[in-house]
Amino acid sequence: MNTCTVARRLRHVPTSALGRRLEHGDVLFRAVIALAALSLLGLMVGVGLMLWLNSQPTRAAAGWSFLTSTVWNPVDEQFGAVPFIAGTLTTSLVALLLAFPLGLLIAIFLAELCPARLRHVLGFMVELLAAIPSVVYGAWGIFVLIPRVVTPLGHWLMQTLGTPGRFPYLPIFEGPFFGASNLAAGLVLAVMILPTIAAISRDVLLAVPRSQREAALAIGATRWEAIWQVVLPYGLSGILGAAILGLGRALGETMAVTMVVGNVAQLSASLLRPGYTMASVIANEWGESRTILYSSALIEIGLLLFVMSLLLNATARLLVWRVARKTPEQRA
Amino acid sequence: MNIPVDAVERPELRRPVALHRRRSKIRERWRRAKSALLLGLTGLATLVGLIPLVWILGDVLIRGASVLNLSFLTDTFKPTSLGGGGIAHALVGTGILVGLASVFAVPLGILTAFYVAQRPNTWLGLAVRFGTDVLSGLPSIVVGLFVYTLLVKGRGYSALAGGVALAILMLPVIVRTTEEMLKLVPKSLREASLALGASEWKTAFQVWLPAALTGIVTGLMLAVARVAGETAPLLFTALGSNTLSTDLGKPIASLPLTMFKYTVDPSQVRNAQAWAIGFIIVTLVLLLNIGARLIAAWRSKMMSS
Amino acid sequence: MRTRSVLLLALLAVVVLVTACAPKTQVVKETVVVEKVVKETVVVAGTPQVKEVVVTPTPKPMDAPGSIKLNASGATFPQPLYEDWAFAFSQRDPSVVINYAGGGSGQGIKDIKAGTVDFAGSDALLKDADYQEKPNLQLIPTVAGAVVLAYNIKGVDATITLDADTVVKIYQGKIENWKDPAIAKLNPEIKFPDLPINVVHRSDGSGTTNIFTLYLSAVSEEWKNGPGAGTAVEWPVDKLGRGQGGKGNPGVAAAVQNTNGAIGYVELAYAKSNNIRYAKMINAAGNVVEASIPSTMAAIKDAKFDDRLGAIIVNSKQPDAWPIAGFTYLIIQKDYQDCKKAEKIVNFITWALTDPGAADRAAKLLYAPLPKEVLPRVMEAVNKVTCNGKPVVSK
Repeated sequence: MNTCTVARRLRHVPTSALGRRLEHGDVLFRAVIALAALSLLGLMVGVGLMLWLNSQPTRAAAGWSFLTSTVWNPVDEQFGAVPFIAGTLTTSLVALLLAFPLGLLIAIFLAELCPARLRHVLGFMVELLAAIPSVVYGAWGIFVLIPRVVTPLGHWLMQTLGTPGRFPYLPIFEGPFFGASNLAAGLVLAVMILPTIAAISRDVLLAVPRSQREAALAIGATRWEAIWQVVLPYGLSGILGAAILGLGRALGETMAVTMVVGNVAQLSASLLRPGYTMASVIANEWGESRTILYSSALIEIGLLLFVMSLLLNATARLLVWRVARKTPEQRA
Repeated sequence: MNIPVDAVERPELRRPVALHRRRSKIRERWRRAKSALLLGLTGLATLVGLIPLVWILGDVLIRGASVLNLSFLTDTFKPTSLGGGGIAHALVGTGILVGLASVFAVPLGILTAFYVAQRPNTWLGLAVRFGTDVLSGLPSIVVGLFVYTLLVKGRGYSALAGGVALAILMLPVIVRTTEEMLKLVPKSLREASLALGASEWKTAFQVWLPAALTGIVTGLMLAVARVAGETAPLLFTALGSNTLSTDLGKPIASLPLTMFKYTVDPSQVRNAQAWAIGFIIVTLVLLLNIGARLIAAWRSKMMSS
Repeated sequence: MRTRSVLLLALLAVVVLVTACAPKTQVVKETVVVEKVVKETVVVAGTPQVKEVVVTPTPKPMDAPGSIKLNASGATFPQPLYEDWAFAFSQRDPSVVINYAGGGSGQGIKDIKAGTVDFAGSDALLKDADYQEKPNLQLIPTVAGAVVLAYNIKGVDATITLDADTVVKIYQGKIENWKDPAIAKLNPEIKFPDLPINVVHRSDGSGTTNIFTLYLSAVSEEWKNGPGAGTAVEWPVDKLGRGQGGKGNPGVAAAVQNTNGAIGYVELAYAKSNNIRYAKMINAAGNVVEASIPSTMAAIKDAKFDDRLGAIIVNSKQPDAWPIAGFTYLIIQKDYQDCKKAEKIVNFITWALTDPGAADRAAKLLYAPLPKEVLPRVMEAVNKVTCNGKPVVSK
């Protein structure tokens, strides 16, 4: 032992290489943050794993018929998810059909026409729509939207477009109609996903390089033509991503939909009839799913929901990222 | 297209050119009109899009404010036969649940954000960024199912389970905003600290984090705004309660759960109370969102000045 | 600087751990001395005299207020009553706080079997399979209630009358419109609008559904062989698009309230206290009866309780009986591991079934009490509750 070592020891300075590394605490720090990041990933994987494992009884018992059968009969233990898949897709697609054009127009206004200060305020107000909780939308849906908007609209649609034997007859508007319906759920969802589509589309449009617009205007296009024929196609994948994200949000919406959709597990061609979505059936029936088969059937519906939202989110994010990355490289 | 033709030298072309010019002018006017019309349409669309916002906020305000009074906020549940009582149990419950969720989500979220901000291009960093985006789109009811099988099965409904469910929902928001705020801090600041001999973790917690603190706080505010209104994940974790409780191992009430129960109730008293709860939740969420925005604006003003 | 933050972190961790791992019940040994004045007969110098003696009983330790929390879930049928009872009992005994979460009989049965609640409410009897799975369960009937058909017809303010056949046909979907002649025949003075009938049922597993479908099965062979009886059945109206599902009794009542042309089955208290109109019925004896305590009590006159204390009382032949009546039950464990909880549960049920104040509250909400003949058997089952093998009630 030499004086150097002694001196180091006296001043509590480590003497070995490992000791020196550990003293700074960096190895520990790096390990801790890496662990945190891994646990986040682990969480995502864990949710999927839990859903997969706990839905095993139904997967074994029903197999693929779970996805093709329209019979949902917990009493006889027959589980088919088709009414719920159809209900979810119907309400979400109606919402998308209504919210996408409107959202795109709002995005165009905010990105292209709005003066900068107004843009912040209006954009913020549109984003506030996204901040309102689902249960408030549901209450508003029951007490305000259904009696004041959906009921007159539904009756009108039923009478003009939904009477069999009278032209024009569209089966999607056939009655009987009582207020709580796929249409009501679609309308509420449309209001809920509008801010998502508008905000992301606005960001995509703002990311389109100025040179594109200026070039279009320079060769004589009107402002609208510049937007419609140059800017939008440039950001198309991003806007598509916004739509898909909105769809993804609509898929998973539980409370607002449960309160206005009618909760009847029947496949029907009509929007005016009550429906049932995947999230709603889990919310309504989980509390009393007594048998293992029943619980695992509901978990399998949760698994379907998880997979669908995973696919949609992943696709959407990739599309939005593509526009963001395209911008600096491709300068005309 | 205006073809430059010498109409004097080639008189046979005079009439078609003039016609073409007139047609061009008409087409031009039509295109401009169409442009103005459609651009006006976008403005109209924005107004239409804001109608539901004004409508909902107006309804919540008008219907909710009439029931609000001090006793509503300090009393706890009473059956409707005795007047209906108040929502003190729900206020306390939401406070506990959000507090629990923050305690779980904030440390984990900040540590994860450190990793991603330091090493964004490793496979783990990319995976985490992708993962948070995906996790943020997960239906909240699926999160509730997950926490049920983890913490409730066999043990009972508890506030702890509810807090964990909300924490999972808060995580993506916190990770994303913290990561962005950390990246905004100039690298020179961190490098200076390291150059002075501070260890990595010291730099992280005493230099990097404080520099981004206001941004992280706004992220937390937004995350709280998100989960304060969540109902679905609490349906089978915290279950809801009619009694004021601070016991973390027992079911607990929350504002959105109570609002849901009171909305789907035939009693007029309960319906009115539901709107009042909605008013409180919306006010809370609005204040948090506006507050976050104001802090961000103040901060960017400070940075630029 | 570093030590300060480390100390703060440690403090936070300690606070979190302590609140999370705090003991669930805190018993504070407070003693309360209550002086009682007792009249005693004392022999003084050969002659019996009545003297008033002040007796100071040995002080009893009292539990801290709110320290014992009982959690329950289950049937929404008796929920208004149980919430009322829980509130009143907490005022009598401030150490107990009872939280009845509702959720439907199906949820109650699931929760008590899974052990996630201390007791459950259910209008549906437990099946043999349930007892086999969990032999520790005990049914305790509490009150009887009436299931009524609530309706919402804009333009009709009077109370309508229905009979078994029309109700079955409405729920089968065979009667589609309020203008149907079958309804008009029973209500000659009422003018019905041309309005399609929206048939509301439960979307969750429900004891109220059980009572209602037992009635439908009792009055219609077709229904018995078709959808049958149970806590959840397949409703024929759903296939025709004229059905609607509500969660819990409140959900059905709310759906009827919010939908013009709707009819739905709910417990009487929900219709009455929210001013929703409900129909009179023609019972098995052929008389028109209105749902009330007398008609419910007539229905329970012939009640036969099986050895598990369950009874079915739909479609009673008594002249004044309400046809769609049913008992509701509390499901408790025969043996509890937490003695304090077991004691309080026994106290609560004993108070609810024997105290005249509790009976008053039930009567105010239009629930009928148990028949006197079965009360001893029920109390015997309650007093048999043990905690870790030791009986809770010392006899």
